[in-house]
Amino acid sequence: MKADAALQRELPEVLRTPELTVGPVTPGSLDDQVLKFPAQKPPRAWYIGFAISASVMTLGLSLIGYTIFTGIGVWGNNSPVFWAFDIINFVFWVGIGHAGTLISAILFLFRKRWRNAIARFAEAMTIFAVMCAGIFPLIHVGRPWLAFWLFPYPNQRALWTNFRSPLLWDVFAVSTYFSVSAMFWFLGLVPDIASMRDRTKNKILKPIYTVLSLGWRGAASHWQHYEKAYLLLAGLATGLVLSVHSVVSFDFAVSLVPGWHMTIFPPYFVTGAIFAGFAMVVIVLVVVREVMDLKNLITDYHLEVMNKVILGMSCLMGYSYFMEGFTAWYSMNEYLHSSFMNLITGTYAWAGWLTISCNVLIPQILWFKKARTSYFWMLLVAMAVTVGMWFERFCIIVISLHKDYLPSSWHLYKPTLVDLGILLGSFGLFFTLVMLFARVLPVIATTEVKAILPGGQPTHQGGGHE
Amino acid sequence: MSDARKSSGPVLWVTLLLGLLGVGASYALAGAERFWANWILWFVYLLTISLGALFIVALEHLVGARWSVVLRRVPERLSTMLLMLVPVALVALGAVLVIYPGARPEAAQNKILAGKAFWLSFPFFSSRTVLFLVLWLIGLAVLVRGSLKQDESKDPAFNVRARRFAPLFMAFFAFGVTMVAFDWISGLEPEWYSDIFGVYLFAGSFLSGLAATALAIVYLQRRGRLQGVKRDHLYNVGGFMFAFTVFWSYIAFAQYMLMWYGDMPEEIFWYQERIQGPWLALVGLIVLLNFIIPFFALIPRDVKGDTGRLRWVAGLMLAGHLLDLYWLIFPSLGKGVLLSWPELSFALFFGSAALLWVRRAMEVGQDMPVGDPFLQEGLEFRL
Amino acid sequence: MSEKAFAVLGLFDDADALMAAIPKVREKVSSPVEAYTPYAIHGIEEALGLRRSPLAGMVMVMGFIGAVTALFFQWWMSAVDYPIITGGKAPFSWQAFVPIMFEVTVLFATFTAGLGMLLLLNKLPYFGHPVLHSKAIEGITRDKFALSVEASEGAVDVETARAALLSAGASSVEALPLPATGPSLTAQFILRSILGVVVACGISGLAMYWAIKLFPVLPPMVHMEDQPRLDPQRADDFFRDGHGMQQPVEGTVARGYLPLGVASQDEAAVLVNPLPRTAEVLEKGRAGYTNHCVVCHGPLGNGVPTLTKAYNAKPANLVSQQFRDYPDGKIYWAIVKGKNAMPSYAYDLSEEERWAVVHYVRALQRAQSALPGDLAGAAAGAASGAATKEGGAR
Repeated sequence: MKADAALQRELPEVLRTPELTVGPVTPGSLDDQVLKFPAQKPPRAWYIGFAISASVMTLGLSLIGYTIFTGIGVWGNNSPVFWAFDIINFVFWVGIGHAGTLISAILFLFRKRWRNAIARFAEAMTIFAVMCAGIFPLIHVGRPWLAFWLFPYPNQRALWTNFRSPLLWDVFAVSTYFSVSAMFWFLGLVPDIASMRDRTKNKILKPIYTVLSLGWRGAASHWQHYEKAYLLLAGLATGLVLSVHSVVSFDFAVSLVPGWHMTIFPPYFVTGAIFAGFAMVVIVLVVVREVMDLKNLITDYHLEVMNKVILGMSCLMGYSYFMEGFTAWYSMNEYLHSSFMNLITGTYAWAGWLTISCNVLIPQILWFKKARTSYFWMLLVAMAVTVGMWFERFCIIVISLHKDYLPSSWHLYKPTLVDLGILLGSFGLFFTLVMLFARVLPVIATTEVKAILPGGQPTHQGGGHE
Repeated sequence: MSDARKSSGPVLWVTLLLGLLGVGASYALAGAERFWANWILWFVYLLTISLGALFIVALEHLVGARWSVVLRRVPERLSTMLLMLVPVALVALGAVLVIYPGARPEAAQNKILAGKAFWLSFPFFSSRTVLFLVLWLIGLAVLVRGSLKQDESKDPAFNVRARRFAPLFMAFFAFGVTMVAFDWISGLEPEWYSDIFGVYLFAGSFLSGLAATALAIVYLQRRGRLQGVKRDHLYNVGGFMFAFTVFWSYIAFAQYMLMWYGDMPEEIFWYQERIQGPWLALVGLIVLLNFIIPFFALIPRDVKGDTGRLRWVAGLMLAGHLLDLYWLIFPSLGKGVLLSWPELSFALFFGSAALLWVRRAMEVGQDMPVGDPFLQEGLEFRL
Repeated sequence: MSEKAFAVLGLFDDADALMAAIPKVREKVSSPVEAYTPYAIHGIEEALGLRRSPLAGMVMVMGFIGAVTALFFQWWMSAVDYPIITGGKAPFSWQAFVPIMFEVTVLFATFTAGLGMLLLLNKLPYFGHPVLHSKAIEGITRDKFALSVEASEGAVDVETARAALLSAGASSVEALPLPATGPSLTAQFILRSILGVVVACGISGLAMYWAIKLFPVLPPMVHMEDQPRLDPQRADDFFRDGHGMQQPVEGTVARGYLPLGVASQDEAAVLVNPLPRTAEVLEKGRAGYTNHCVVCHGPLGNGVPTLTKAYNAKPANLVSQQFRDYPDGKIYWAIVKGKNAMPSYAYDLSEEERWAVVHYVRALQRAQSALPGDLAGAAAGAASGAATKEGGAR
């Protein structure tokens, strides 16, 4: 089935087929290890983590309430920088969600078995990230309670929405992305909740799990349709990964603001999204595997592969930045040229250079295997990438807007404490949801991992998988 | 040598000669611009196929794919066409001073071109082309020649070397394809620019490489060779063709939609030239061959693993890619849709040359990389 | 009398054992054979003889419907029902409709895949299946594999099934009793779905009703209506007298009402008509005169009003010699300040309109004092040449 042991021993280390689980793992031991968490009291670390993230989240939510009550004037947005932290945060969080879908859906299509142990967590992160993202378009409008006007419903004003606007395409794209991700995640959870249903003796949890598992009984005829649905959803979700962040990039690229109207924006944004998302996944998984003692399932190999993806994406980002710079010159367009020079030499040039260092230079350290397998280096890179990708959106939005065509409109941008508080609050929301998820649901898709354990599939069917 | 091969060889030499006569005649009779446009078209077409094939090889090493080892020799052989393209490229440089406005003396008067005339000038243009040709040939040497050598030596050190070299090759490839797109194609109208153009050409190149690989696999299997490649492997190849058809369509649409939306005179003129009159019909054909047919034909699970249908789709995709390049290049001449004996001669000439080369290449080395330690795993791959 | 059961389950310890047992059991029993596994087993569909899942076709059809629906609605809303040109784009901008078409396609396809698989094909949620209440289920979702001889109609003969399973290598066998009779599974499922839909609609309907009724009158939704500004005709304690609206400060000059700088009608003689005597100005003057002056001074300007009895006043004959001798400024003064019974017309006519009326009055005066030379004819032409020169001096 797999390359035989003798061959493995002969090969240089870099070529050997990695083990996806460390030590003896059986379906039963897997259930015991992973499903014990929802059933028992969480460790103290969880309480501390939850307390911190919930407080930060509450701070953010109160500041959002204050903003809605008082008005957008409490933010730093002002002419000509009409989009600032609000849209930066929106794009940032939508981007982070994309890694989850990639791991969950695209790697499923490629039959990469290493995805099984981390897919569940990654999908959950997608949903939470999209929830965080969705807050921002809602609150950045002057009258959020009229947000339902964005949907084309028949109304007394006899008006329809403007379908030619990318802001409306965003509404459809992000809501579709959320629904599809939620459905994909929930369907994946059903067999695992069935396991939890059959393990628990708790009188309150058992009926809850029964209802949530929909009465799943593991029938082969059901698995057949289930696997088909999963494959189709993976294919559809893959299309979404490309399209959602492309639609987000259209918000900028269809405009005429110099530095925004670049055709490379769609794939550039998608690449950046995957890049930032993987960094966040690495950070969260490092913590999870340590605190929940899952190192035998979320192995060093998993982390190393994810770091390689981060490295690859960093190189693609480098290509994109190069193309932006080259085109700024090649176009011989004085506005585009000036906008680019502003990025690297203007008032906010520090943000521009921070972006390039964090996104292109620092991740290059991952060429070294030692960095890919060391917590210190990989976390350093992951945090640099998170910061760098946030600042990249800052550069795109604020730097281009504060100095565009009309010099008399040029003006600096300064965020307020409310802006910063809401940004922090969004992180608080995200991590609170992550903590809740880890407390209540299985963080590893036990069903999927069981299916790839050695001996899990009948042997006479033949065939190793990749 | 099979009978089929014995009979097709002489035919191809005849068509090659006929084509060569037509090519020579078109230089004298059809005008230099038309001659060069055709030359560039076929140069870029065959280049993107060879580079696409080499990219497939490098990608397999980069990600350490095991299922694809069984068919890796096919794109390796296809990529050797790069060697044939070196003289083609050097001849193509003759076009620079004829149909590339940036290199011509008038550029100094043009407000937009004057600032970058040095970049577009012949010395710089040709050095870039030569530089990347050298880098690609290095890639060919490391990846393909090394693989062929491994047939005998059976030394896994090649895999390690290839794996380490693959990322570097990706840089050569990424910037190289971008150079081809900007210099050879959009350089025909150097006032225009689109920074996704390199990605667009990459998508077409990868797809053509895949389609050519699929066709070559079917060709070999129909001759009783390459029996190690099963439906399961072909399913993956078909799957990639489907996925990247979607990707190519997305890139093509994104570029068009963004320029349509902005409607800026300095950008939209390029599209306006390409949707006037008869060109619009060609656009419809390109959409049909590059998106509609492959998309709907490759969705059913059966087709992806079925050699019969797969070769039709692959063939149509290759034709579609040629038409796409034609649509990118020829409108720059401003002479309407040119389709007559010069174009047919070039097709005969270059088509025959490519087929002859590929036929010969299919005899190089073993059909599968027998020295690769992961060949067995690849053979055992089942979905 | 052989024992009957809903199903007979045989448990196996791994996938290989299960797969090996399937053909053996299938040839020994006549009822259909189902398997229960903790995860999907490759190749088990063929072994059990299951028909291919129709889900892919369903999803493709619904996806296509989604694309067409999105295109149709965007076209109808943007190009038919209320066509508006935004951003210079044509009402039917198909290029701009593509992203939403794509998203709606995926949305329709996804919900078909998920809900179609659950509700239609697997008929889940369903909590009454006997396997869920068996002893074996705990092992099934953990690490055991079960082969089940089940009858869709009627019941299974326990002995035959047990023998077949044991001889195929099952480690243990369990018979599941027939469930109590009642409405069929499908009927129950349909009833439950309808109930679910009704409840959901009811709750959401009520919630929406109250939200729409209550929501808009709560702060901050009312902040734009209740703004901290001085509204007309409202009391406000900002000013000492409690009035929100105040009179303008002493000496405030309204626009168009700059002081004339003269104290009496005689002094007004110095004012000069700033407007040229063009046809346009005269038309304007005629309009102003017709609207405001005709009622008293008459259409000919001769003081024969159209409202004789109503005002019992004696309007001036503007075409008389007295007024022909008036400088423009004095006529202007009369309009602005009024004269005797005539009120001020400063608020009815703007400064420009007033001077235009003055021009028109002059025209009336000229019209009513014709000279011999004004007659048409060649002889009169020479005389009128002289006369116009005189008239022009007026």
